[in-house]
Amino acid sequence: MTNKQNNNVKRKRSWLKGDDLSGYLFIAVAMLIFIAFTAYPVFSAIKTSFFLYKPFGSEFVGLENYAETFTNSLFYKSVKNTIIYTIIVVPLSLVIAFSIAVMVMAFQKRTQSIFKAIYYLPGIASGVALSVVWLWLYDSSPSGLFNQILAFLGMPTQNWLNSSKTSMLSLIIMALASGQGSSVIIYVAALLGIDNSTFEAAELDGASFMQKIRYIVIPLVKPSTLFLFVTGIIGSFQVFMNAYMMTGGGPDNNTTMIGLLIFNNAFVYSKYGLACAQAIVLAIIIGAISFLQFKLMGVDVEY
Amino acid sequence: MKKFLALLLALVMVCSLFAGCSSGQKETTGTETTQAPEQTPDTATKAPVSAAEDVITLMVPPVSATYFEKVHEWADSFHELYPNLTINIIETSWDDHNAKLSTMSLAGEAPDIAEVSSSAIGTHVELGVGVNISDYMDAETLADYDKNALEYMSLEGKTYGLPLYLSIQSIGANLDMLTEAGVDVPKVQQNGWTFDEFVTAIGNGTKDDRYGFVFASSAVTASDMLNIFGVSAGINNAFTSDLKYAYTSKNMLTFLQAIEKITTSGYMPNYGVDASQRMVMCQTGNAMIFGKAMPLFEGNITKNNKALEANDGTAVEGSIPVNYSFLPVPVMDGVKESCYGTVDGLMVFRNNKTTDEHLANVMLALNYLCSGDVAAYVSSELYLDSVCESGRAVISKYTVEGRDENNLACASREMSLVVAPPTGLTAEMSSKAATLMELMIAPKFQALLAGEATAQEMYDAICDAAFDQFGEAGCETGSIQ
Repeated sequence: MTNKQNNNVKRKRSWLKGDDLSGYLFIAVAMLIFIAFTAYPVFSAIKTSFFLYKPFGSEFVGLENYAETFTNSLFYKSVKNTIIYTIIVVPLSLVIAFSIAVMVMAFQKRTQSIFKAIYYLPGIASGVALSVVWLWLYDSSPSGLFNQILAFLGMPTQNWLNSSKTSMLSLIIMALASGQGSSVIIYVAALLGIDNSTFEAAELDGASFMQKIRYIVIPLVKPSTLFLFVTGIIGSFQVFMNAYMMTGGGPDNNTTMIGLLIFNNAFVYSKYGLACAQAIVLAIIIGAISFLQFKLMGVDVEY
Repeated sequence: MKKFLALLLALVMVCSLFAGCSSGQKETTGTETTQAPEQTPDTATKAPVSAAEDVITLMVPPVSATYFEKVHEWADSFHELYPNLTINIIETSWDDHNAKLSTMSLAGEAPDIAEVSSSAIGTHVELGVGVNISDYMDAETLADYDKNALEYMSLEGKTYGLPLYLSIQSIGANLDMLTEAGVDVPKVQQNGWTFDEFVTAIGNGTKDDRYGFVFASSAVTASDMLNIFGVSAGINNAFTSDLKYAYTSKNMLTFLQAIEKITTSGYMPNYGVDASQRMVMCQTGNAMIFGKAMPLFEGNITKNNKALEANDGTAVEGSIPVNYSFLPVPVMDGVKESCYGTVDGLMVFRNNKTTDEHLANVMLALNYLCSGDVAAYVSSELYLDSVCESGRAVISKYTVEGRDENNLACASREMSLVVAPPTGLTAEMSSKAATLMELMIAPKFQALLAGEATAQEMYDAICDAAFDQFGEAGCETGSIQ
């Protein structure tokens, strides 16, 4: 046996010993969870999307579920609804979260923590509980809270969740008002990471507040912005709870998002194969958008 | 030592992942541990009953006010009758019952028996999880159930469950307000009324602080109005007696135009009303007639009247004493009067553990939970007549005292006017109709109620979608008499 062969045998045996073994065992937990709850469902969904799913004997239908997806007008309507929701909610959320973070930074650390906790509070509340509160706020009768405010201001009351003119707006307002907690915390952390000397130098040069924001803060928090932008779009495309709880997708499917459509197909109409095909299409859409975001925005971002 | 500890910890973590993975289910082997009850005609099954221990899973929402409390008592009584059989109850809410049932069915882990509305049976049968109970239950047992009610639980000549109650859905009103609006209420309850009379009444009943009519129209409740008022126009079921899709008929256009007229009249709210609000609006004097209504509401309103009298703070805020009248749905010209009814029953499901021996036991539990005292108690609590002979025989034991005679007579009359679904419906047709209703018709109807679509636009959209699903030949485009 040559020295080289001896070394190979030693290398093969050594990975199961000592630190290496405990290392593999430690990552085994994460790997098993990943395989069981992420990888397996993804592969299973891909496989199921080619079947007319039945628990006791599915039938292979090839690309039929995909063909049905792409010829279904409701699928396109749900994609359109989701895009409208995303285009408005994600950028506005970033602006709101960034503005709150900048304002919070003006306070001392203790006060900052209080504000961060307040803004994060909706994040720890149950989505269902939040929806119930918002349903009460959006009560379409004249005694509804928002309608009373409108009436007080001399404006006509609104059929908030039951009119196609206001139902999407209602969901957007709800998302903007109750979903900024984690973004604010991430922006505050990013702002704390900017060296004070940078601001001092800018002040010596006579920079105004807005100039400091534009030329120092925005470029330096760009990695956080990119992260929040990408995760925001992914989350927005997967939005489900708001539409499910508040409008059920109505009226006239004007608030039916892709997530809700997939849920309904799978668990209301028992068209599991079709739902899997739509979920795969959604994953491809999200993947493509995320890829483009990193390509276009992530060029000069360093982590 | 450190390495050993690290290895030990890592091993514990990996093992803990699998800690919860055992089935936790007791194996139901063929070992005979108890004496099986003697085979009597009551055993209800064609297959011989095994003496082996067996667990039957039942999943139910709160069918009536005390159903959860009672169903445990009934399960215990069943266990006393058949000591080797245990009913394991899964309680659900009305909101999540169907989604939970679908999820479990898709995983092949459906409960053995579950509460199902007749309109949902097709979807489960299409999925291949329905069990034809006539293969396991003897004809004598099935004969106990009304044929009409049993039809609701059947598709293509196969019966997938037993009816628990036939619910009649119509409208209700404040008797005094309706009388004040010029309506001879007892006469209407006895003989029915026309749609024109109804519109005149709600017009007379509309005041500055009160709507003549309110119907829950938010989200999914819009389909209730379609079903209940559809019978006004002669649409009793999604399919006609010759199995053509009914929502494309001229009756549908007439119906939609009538609804369009009411929504723009100012006689009903021009905003979405939640299901929970519609009866409250009647109780607070803000609405004269409300829908959907059922005979059962007499109990709720009487209870509220008593709370007002006792002034104990449990009455609905701002409510007034109300004399409740259960009313027939008005009828349009040239249409034979009927009432919208739906049967809710217990359906048998196939799951990963289903065997013929187990199904024989399931049939025993199914019949026990749908007949005799159980059926009588449930029907009585819902202010309904029983749908099985054995239930009717004992219903007098559970009859609610003090019910209004006119309401009682009206409910019986309406029950007799319910038209069962046509025979020969396939699971595919039923499933397609249910999906069409949920995905297209109900959402469009919401738009009509919100004044954002016209009757003609909605009718055209329904025709397009229905022709696509059933073909033009499979749809009724003329009038239904």
